[in-house]
Amino acid sequence: MCKYSKLIPIIFFFIFLIINSFAKPITIKVWYPDELGVKPKYVDKAAEDFRKAFPDVNLEVTRYKIPSGDFLTKLLLAIDAKEAPDVFHVGGTLMPEFVEAKYIRPLTPYVVKWEDWQYYPKSIKDAVRYKGHYYTIPYGLDVRWLYYRKDIFAKAGLPTDWKPKGWDDILNTAQKIKNSVPNVIPFVIYAGVAGGGGTVNHGYIPLLYGTKALAYDIKSGKYVIDTSAVKKVLEFYKKAFIDLKLVPQEVLTLPKPWTTMREKLGAGELAILFEGGWVYGGWVTKYGLENVEKTVGYTLMPSEKGTPYFTVGGLGTCWYISSQSKNPDLAWEFIKRFNTRDIVAKINIEDPHPVARLDSAELPEFKAIKYLYDCTQILNQAKFEPMAPGISKFGNRVQLMTGRVASGEMSVDSALQKFIEEMKSDFGDVIIK
Amino acid sequence: MKRNQFLILGLLPAIFLMTFLFVLPSLWGIYSSFTNMALLGKEAANFRFLGFENYIKLFKDSAFYTSFFNTIYFVIGSALIGQFLLGLIIALLIDYAERRKIPGRGIVYGIVLLAWINPTLIAGFQWSAMYDYYYGTLNTFLKFLGLPKINWLGSIPMLSVIVANIWRGTAFTMLIWLSALKTIPVELYEAGKIDGANAFNRFRYITVPMLRDIITVNLIQITMATMGAFLLIWAITSGGPGLKTTTLSLFAYRTAFESYRLGYGSAIAVIMLLINLFFGIIYIRLFRRR
Repeated sequence: MCKYSKLIPIIFFFIFLIINSFAKPITIKVWYPDELGVKPKYVDKAAEDFRKAFPDVNLEVTRYKIPSGDFLTKLLLAIDAKEAPDVFHVGGTLMPEFVEAKYIRPLTPYVVKWEDWQYYPKSIKDAVRYKGHYYTIPYGLDVRWLYYRKDIFAKAGLPTDWKPKGWDDILNTAQKIKNSVPNVIPFVIYAGVAGGGGTVNHGYIPLLYGTKALAYDIKSGKYVIDTSAVKKVLEFYKKAFIDLKLVPQEVLTLPKPWTTMREKLGAGELAILFEGGWVYGGWVTKYGLENVEKTVGYTLMPSEKGTPYFTVGGLGTCWYISSQSKNPDLAWEFIKRFNTRDIVAKINIEDPHPVARLDSAELPEFKAIKYLYDCTQILNQAKFEPMAPGISKFGNRVQLMTGRVASGEMSVDSALQKFIEEMKSDFGDVIIK
Repeated sequence: MKRNQFLILGLLPAIFLMTFLFVLPSLWGIYSSFTNMALLGKEAANFRFLGFENYIKLFKDSAFYTSFFNTIYFVIGSALIGQFLLGLIIALLIDYAERRKIPGRGIVYGIVLLAWINPTLIAGFQWSAMYDYYYGTLNTFLKFLGLPKINWLGSIPMLSVIVANIWRGTAFTMLIWLSALKTIPVELYEAGKIDGANAFNRFRYITVPMLRDIITVNLIQITMATMGAFLLIWAITSGGPGLKTTTLSLFAYRTAFESYRLGYGSAIAVIMLLINLFFGIIYIRLFRRR
């Protein structure tokens, strides 16, 4: 025996201590934006469950109390600086752009083994699949309604269970209100840059879908400009804003027209508003469910000539796993714990959206709210927002085109021509029919 | 020689700061304007050098020309006609009042400064609240007078943001003018008076030549600041309606951080830099001492 042999275990012990002191615990970073304060308790619940299951993992959850657009910029800069969080929360429509930029990991290997995946309908699964992979799991979906004030309709002698028979019927109804109920804005549909995403998703796109045309061809991966369909859409804008003056020009000029218009409908100063499904909750908070159910009606957007009636569906905001994540398996474990039946149901009761999971819709407290039940029921009539790369550039061009017509700056033909030029300049190859 | 070395040593911190905070970012901006650098989409994953492609595209982009002319209107209306002249007039009046100890001059001075003390974003929201069609102060006042409402941000959007920017920026030019006016000896004006010069001639032949350098600095400063003005317009109109109040700085921001095309946005910023340089050279040549 060597005379130093007794020292060997001590040396090993110190080596172990040194190595251990350098070994950092695994950290999973989660970022999400939230201004309203609805999400934190559900994110915290998922985080608590995660920490119980993985006590050695350091889970850092950061809530950014900023608008989602600002959060997106912050996130993109962090990704660019290779400082991306493992899990982040952004709009579902951005998925193709994130995939093309190689910012997110496919969730396919995880969802196929996840037993809860069976509760998601095929339409949702199709919507989150891009280039053969699933990339995200939505929890609260977006739908759009034509909201209308039953009290104003009654004053104008119109039926309060309104179901417009086509675009002309919407305009005729608004015209009747204009003629018979003074000091009320007859109708609002968003147009122009000021309308933001509303101009695209509850303005141009539903009208375009109402002509049976599409904005994007998935097979060829190209944007489509169906000239006769776009002309019909622009004619509708022209009639509503310029010819009949049913929509006030202020919709184009207010910095955030949606804030004012939602307030006006809630206060009974606006008769018909085409808006997202999530605005109903704001009225309920301010005026109480009973009052809102009594005064605010909602109906599906008709196609140009009436049927089929439909809503434009959206994936809402969703969780993604960053491609920079070194621990995607753990990142998935967090996402899984957020998308439980209970969390999905409760968050959407508090912030009214239809649920993405079918079993969440079966919860008695969810079923008890008529509006939520109706929102979930219309999902089978939903046509989804285009899931296409370059959607923000496309949206910007749509805003400019609709704004040019709605303000009277350009004729329908000139605005369409300009749109074609701009789309060609942005995307190179577009399908023109 | 030793003295020079010491001076260079003393300048090093400033050179270091200027290099890292100004020169390198500017060079990076110029470089990125020749690339397809993007924060989102295919381009984000496929970085390429494009040569002059961004600039060629920019000169074919009608939104660029709209923003360019909006910027020119905004600079002329807000910086030159508004802040420069109004600042001068207010400074001359306050200087006149101070020299004659007219009471109330401090109050006027304070009121003008108040606009400047306000943070720009707050000032923007204030004006936004003033101009709001439905609930704004101006239309509420018109209603009180029994007059019809005006769609300030719809019918006269550029004029509306120009007025707001003049209100916000005049105090700064006034301060510069006022401090410069105090450096002119009273004796010069008295001599002018004795020689029979009237008020306009005293201004033309004494004040203006004495302020030549200050005029140049002031013009360069307000032109650059106005050309780069972003927050105020953003808070009031966000560049709308359509592109009617989109200046080059808003166009660059929208391109870089809303369409996420950093390369194209940088090309717009480089054009802004060149326009500023052009204005700077014009001013220096115009007011160069002969």
